[in-house]
Amino acid sequence: MKRVWHHPEESNSGRRYWRSLGEYSNAPEFAEKVGREFDPALSTMSDDERETSRRDFVKMMGGAAALAGITLTSCRRPLAKIVPFTKHVEWVIPGKSLLYATSMPRPWGASPMVVVTHEGRPTHLQGNPLHPSGAGLDIFAQASILDLYAPERAKHPAYKGKEMPWTEFQTAVNQWVGDWKKDGGTGVALLLNPSSSATRANLLADFAKEYPKAKIYEYEPLHKRGYDAALKALLGDSVKLLPNFTKADIVFSLDCDFIGLDTTSETAVRDFMKRRAPKQKSDAMNRLYILENRYTLTGGISDHRLPITAVEIPVATAVLAEEIGKLVGDPALQKASAALAGGASADLRAWIAPAAKDLVDSKGKALVLAGPRHGEAVQALVLGINNALGSFGATIETLKVDLGYKVADIIELKADIEAKKISHVLVMAESDPAYDSGEFLNSIQKLEASARPTLTHLTDRPKATTKISQWALPQAHYLESWDDVRSADGCYSVVQPMIQPLFNGISANELLLVLLGRKKFAETAKAAPAAAPAAPETDPAAEAVKATFAKIAGGANDEKWNNTLRDGFLPGTSYPAAAVTFNGGDLAGITAKALEYAVPTGGAFEVVLTADASLYDGRYTDNPWLQEAPDPITKLTWDNAAWMSPRTFAALKLTKDGDLIEVKVGGKSLIIPAISAPGHAANSITIPLGYGQSSSSVVGNERGKNAYPLAGANSVFTNSEFILSGASVTKAGGNYELAITQDNYTMEGRAQVREGTKDRFDKDEHFAAHEGLDSHAPPNISLYKGRIGSNDPKRKDYNVDGNGFDYLHEHQWGMVIDLSKCIGCSACVVACQSENNIPIVGKDQVAKGRVMHWIRMDRYFSTPDGLDRNPTLDELDNPEMVSQPVACQQCESAPCETVCPVNATVHTEDGLNAMAYNRCIGTRYCANNCPYTARRFNWFDYNKRNPLITNKVAGIETNNLYAGPLGEKSQVEVTKLQKNPNVTVRMRGVIEKCTYCVQRIESAKITQRSIARDNASQLRIPTDAVKTACQASCPAEAIVFGDLANEKSAVNEWKDNPRNYDVLQYIGTRPRTSYLARIRNVNPLMPDKRNPKTGEASINGF
Amino acid sequence: MGNFFPRWTNWLPLQIAIAAVMIGAGITVGLTYYFTPKYTKVGYEPTQPVPFSHKLHVGQVGLDCRYCHSHVEVSAHANVPTNQTCYNCHGPDRGQIKKDSEKLAMVRDAEKTGVPIQWTKVHKAPDYVYFNHSVHVNRGVSCQSCHGQVNEMEVVRQAEPQSMSWCLDCHRAPEKNLRPLEQITNLTYKPGDLDRTAFYTKLGFKGKQLEDSVARAEEKYGAKVTQEEVGLQIKDHWRIAPSESCTTCHR
Repeated sequence: MKRVWHHPEESNSGRRYWRSLGEYSNAPEFAEKVGREFDPALSTMSDDERETSRRDFVKMMGGAAALAGITLTSCRRPLAKIVPFTKHVEWVIPGKSLLYATSMPRPWGASPMVVVTHEGRPTHLQGNPLHPSGAGLDIFAQASILDLYAPERAKHPAYKGKEMPWTEFQTAVNQWVGDWKKDGGTGVALLLNPSSSATRANLLADFAKEYPKAKIYEYEPLHKRGYDAALKALLGDSVKLLPNFTKADIVFSLDCDFIGLDTTSETAVRDFMKRRAPKQKSDAMNRLYILENRYTLTGGISDHRLPITAVEIPVATAVLAEEIGKLVGDPALQKASAALAGGASADLRAWIAPAAKDLVDSKGKALVLAGPRHGEAVQALVLGINNALGSFGATIETLKVDLGYKVADIIELKADIEAKKISHVLVMAESDPAYDSGEFLNSIQKLEASARPTLTHLTDRPKATTKISQWALPQAHYLESWDDVRSADGCYSVVQPMIQPLFNGISANELLLVLLGRKKFAETAKAAPAAAPAAPETDPAAEAVKATFAKIAGGANDEKWNNTLRDGFLPGTSYPAAAVTFNGGDLAGITAKALEYAVPTGGAFEVVLTADASLYDGRYTDNPWLQEAPDPITKLTWDNAAWMSPRTFAALKLTKDGDLIEVKVGGKSLIIPAISAPGHAANSITIPLGYGQSSSSVVGNERGKNAYPLAGANSVFTNSEFILSGASVTKAGGNYELAITQDNYTMEGRAQVREGTKDRFDKDEHFAAHEGLDSHAPPNISLYKGRIGSNDPKRKDYNVDGNGFDYLHEHQWGMVIDLSKCIGCSACVVACQSENNIPIVGKDQVAKGRVMHWIRMDRYFSTPDGLDRNPTLDELDNPEMVSQPVACQQCESAPCETVCPVNATVHTEDGLNAMAYNRCIGTRYCANNCPYTARRFNWFDYNKRNPLITNKVAGIETNNLYAGPLGEKSQVEVTKLQKNPNVTVRMRGVIEKCTYCVQRIESAKITQRSIARDNASQLRIPTDAVKTACQASCPAEAIVFGDLANEKSAVNEWKDNPRNYDVLQYIGTRPRTSYLARIRNVNPLMPDKRNPKTGEASINGF
Repeated sequence: MGNFFPRWTNWLPLQIAIAAVMIGAGITVGLTYYFTPKYTKVGYEPTQPVPFSHKLHVGQVGLDCRYCHSHVEVSAHANVPTNQTCYNCHGPDRGQIKKDSEKLAMVRDAEKTGVPIQWTKVHKAPDYVYFNHSVHVNRGVSCQSCHGQVNEMEVVRQAEPQSMSWCLDCHRAPEKNLRPLEQITNLTYKPGDLDRTAFYTKLGFKGKQLEDSVARAEEKYGAKVTQEEVGLQIKDHWRIAPSESCTTCHR
């Protein structure tokens, strides 16, 4: 029987936490969903399903039964083969995973990581804890393993679309090189993304030496030209600034999402969030102010946030500069900002003034950051502010970097192409210039066909640039190639291959080696199937890395080399510090350029183009994990949409998310679905980039709308072409169905987050534990006769009935998630997917509420709770945001277990709520009875049948899933290589859920028993030896997991934190996962009208 | 009106009932026997591409199991050896044992071409079962307990049903199969051959305590060491508590 949870009536005071506007206003549609596993509105048949009528179904089943009859006659034990190696392979033990340290090259540096490999195939990535800048991984790094096994990867070199062997390419290269040697490489252009690879730099320097007239161009689609220009003007060349969040007490962000997509180092999240989790009231916290036009993850964790349009950011920067100039006595800064600051409203001034005072009070420990999309004026003023605050050398490390070769921007490439100076472009960028950089494609298309340069494209998969290229070369994944990288602070790491290139690809370094004549493709005998991997000594790419290593390490040293490969880095290789002198004289000149602007209005909107939380700049469009990972703010999957404030949404007479609008700006126009985003600045539209690509794969093809053509259409400030103004936005009519997960798996409509201000925490450390109903509900008296609590009389939860869990001999697992540290980035969601073989289900299924992620990243907005439930637009202008990851809470008194008719979910002796898939018959009673809605049901064979394709069955066009046995059965073979062999690949009809990574637990227990052998005193695994996948991936270190029965384990320390509380404690499920309440470090002097009651009560109404 | 039914038909209903019961019983017995691993699996004896004889190598030559199944103590799998292991003894340029034998042609070919020999799997656990060899052999369960008298098999044969209930039988009463660690790969082991004093010394008994224990055991189990005695002592002293939770084998 369905257990009815008697949640107490809500009262109407305090703060309200909500995930969607429907939930807020308690709309009838939402009330229906409350407490149900699935939205009932969704379970009605779609048009697609209706077509596949019952009769068709019977027809199909008849056919299937007949086929089964034929196959039954051959019902014999299938012959299985064992194929051992012919020769021993060093380190490989069948059945044991091998871990290697490597790094993923990133725009800002590197993500140091540990790769889990099984019998030679990489299956999972996690952060490298040994690395000085090693924390977790962000979502992109976490998902990058799937790119290695993407079925649509380029597999052959191709010339004008025709497959060619590498030797043919070698012939072509020989000819090119012959010509280049004669004319010094005139007309040759290399186009790359900036890279921190020292080997790449060496090769490019060699290339420039060998072909002195060839030119090297570098670009990032989401460039920071404004920042670079300001930096060069005010601090000089070869300087790199690196924010050091460990030293920053007060941070002020001007539209800089440094926690999310504007990050400049792999340690920013770890270092910043470390200082936001007080253990007791005496612990100090950092404080964050932010001004931004849309909600970002950084905005979500901020202490004070004010939404303003991006066009007004220069004014706000000037006001801040003026205030700080006044307070510290910096007349130059004051003078440079006065004119621009003059246009500020009184409200904005009143908001910024106390923040400026706070910054100045913490001089030397303050830090101001600006978003890279802003032009020189903002960037220069921010440098001026940081100079006035004494941040250089304190909260901002000034590092000396030297590229070693001359590099030009893609804008110059455009000019050179148009001037017909370029005859051959070799594109080796990871991004797709023909898609994401309009100037590049335009400049080529402007020329008549005969005058266009030849293009050679090194690419992992066919892209827009490939279509206009003569040669397309398959690119090796970073897990397949030798390289090196430097992390943001310069620490040198080697990128080592985990596997031979699956599809015969080469890396950019190898292509350079080919062009330099140091690597040659020779005919290889195809006969040998088990070709031994090339020894590092004979691989030119490895040679090149070793040569670089020898230079950096001060001589070739095998021991150092091996240690570097083992640990993933070479210690003591950070960039040297640079002494900087601030050249304030130029400041006024730069800011003067930003004087002309118009504040957006209801007639002339601004449009802000940003990186996307799933696709970044579009380069991850073919990654299904990222496509299906909900956007951390809008919870939108598989698409992009135009974000706008509910105020603007209403003004445009839009009624439903997905209503189409037409954006017209600077002669360009785009029709795109709109989405109402609370906390967004009014009269401002945000469109994430990277969508609308025509890809060869079903994953990334025509998802969302491409906003790149709008870039630069009408930007007011120089070098900020992602901020457009004077746009007209009109309702276009019609609705486009968006797959949004924010209402899926709701927990009785009751938010479970608890938070408070630092002030409140100082007054009452334990406020979270006795907040809401927990303050006055009597302790639960349970009639449940199962095991509860501990059998150890020394523990608080000692079970006097003697029926407690065995803490004396067994391990007892538990988890704590710190909401004060969690930023909501969803890296854990993807890490879990990678570790636990969780399938993607496709947009249609997500829209039906069938997303399979074991971790649900809830994003709550909170507003002061009024008496009526109709939110006013004022309230929606600037709500606060909190993220909370929810997975199975591993309840000791688990409601799911009591309702399972077949005992498929039962408790283990170490306190896990186990799930036996092969016992499950799919009644879904458990999912129905789970108050945390943490269970997921396999409606189809998502692992076997590709949910992204349609199929024609008996003349009916239907989604492959619905085609049943007549559909296309196997998912592409190569993606199977990613599966974790230690986790069952689930089939249709069974429930699944978080297992606390039981495969890792069992493996640790088995290893420990194999070590202990006959010594019974050693059976307990070492303290904190097991990490779950989400824990290992968390870049903020917000998750801790461990053995509750071990006094020394970190999880016990976290459970003793006064902020600890259980979600839905009053229903007596006794969850093993608990949360630490979130603390906001609020400045009492701020005029924040929006949150008069920050954190005074956290559960709705109590 | 004539008598349509002859007299014997009076017994027909009873006969049908008896027949139905017997047929039903027959089907039940048949299904339980012929469709359970006890019948479907035990005795499975596929021909291998190379007629490797365990009887010869283990029984006569006396090779230890771990010579070939080298990772059994550290990994979940008891690996089938690489071709190199065979070739080290049988290769014309190595050990030269039977270097020209017809039967070993495949081994020599594999060495030359690098194409591995495909052996036929005998013991197969379902995909959703995660059996781990290392934890068993390190904690007192012998190869023999699950694989039988391999030292007497010309061709390897499945000796035990290896069904879930069979696994659980041992997890519930491990003492029937536990033995000292140095006897794990001894396929001719008999508990009676153990030296009682040495066994108890190994378990950690000393001095007076040792003498007492040995004396008590002699009184209880007789002059010869028995399996019950070995099993219970090991279970107690090594704290063998095999888990019966689902997650032990299913993940």
